[in-house]
Amino acid sequence: MSFLGFGRPQPSSAEKIAAVENELKMVAEMHSRMIKVCTSKCVDKTYREGELAKGEAVCLDRCAAKFFEAHQKIFEQIQTETQNRGGGPAF
Amino acid sequence: MDAGLTQAESRELDQRLQKRQVKEFMNVIGNLVDNCFNACVDDFTSKALSGREGGCISRCVIKSMTTQTRLGERFAELNAAMTAEMQNKGR
Repeated sequence: MSFLGFGRPQPSSAEKIAAVENELKMVAEMHSRMIKVCTSKCVDKTYREGELAKGEAVCLDRCAAKFFEAHQKIFEQIQTETQNRGGGPAF
Repeated sequence: MDAGLTQAESRELDQRLQKRQVKEFMNVIGNLVDNCFNACVDDFTSKALSGREGGCISRCVIKSMTTQTRLGERFAELNAAMTAEMQNKGR
């Protein structure tokens, strides 16, 4: 997801640092959201057990994979839609 | 993510990332507290946590940490795969 250096003038120091930081921020946010969503969908909310059940564990693995796939699909579709509607800059 | 940073820029970035990590850690704790409180505490006839609520919170914390570890591993795998795929597409 790095858009630096495609024939544009050299980015400044601040821009380079900001770009890396922003990329990591996006990754961290995605990580946090995935945990919230998959915990909500897969983990028994009554917390009768302190251990993760086998079924819950498998659910979490699948949820993570689906989350990534859905994220990518949505991202691409938004880009397509934005371009089709003649709108603004792509991401 | 190799933006070709100088040593000074690298140091600046490291500092920023450290701050971000602390922030992220606080965020994780906050989410855990919210989640376990919402799941376990619903009896306000007393101002002290009941035994049941306390036990639930303990199990919730342990389970949440196990969940986060597992999801963290899945996330790293999926993120690496996605990054590799994007780099291949870009060629």
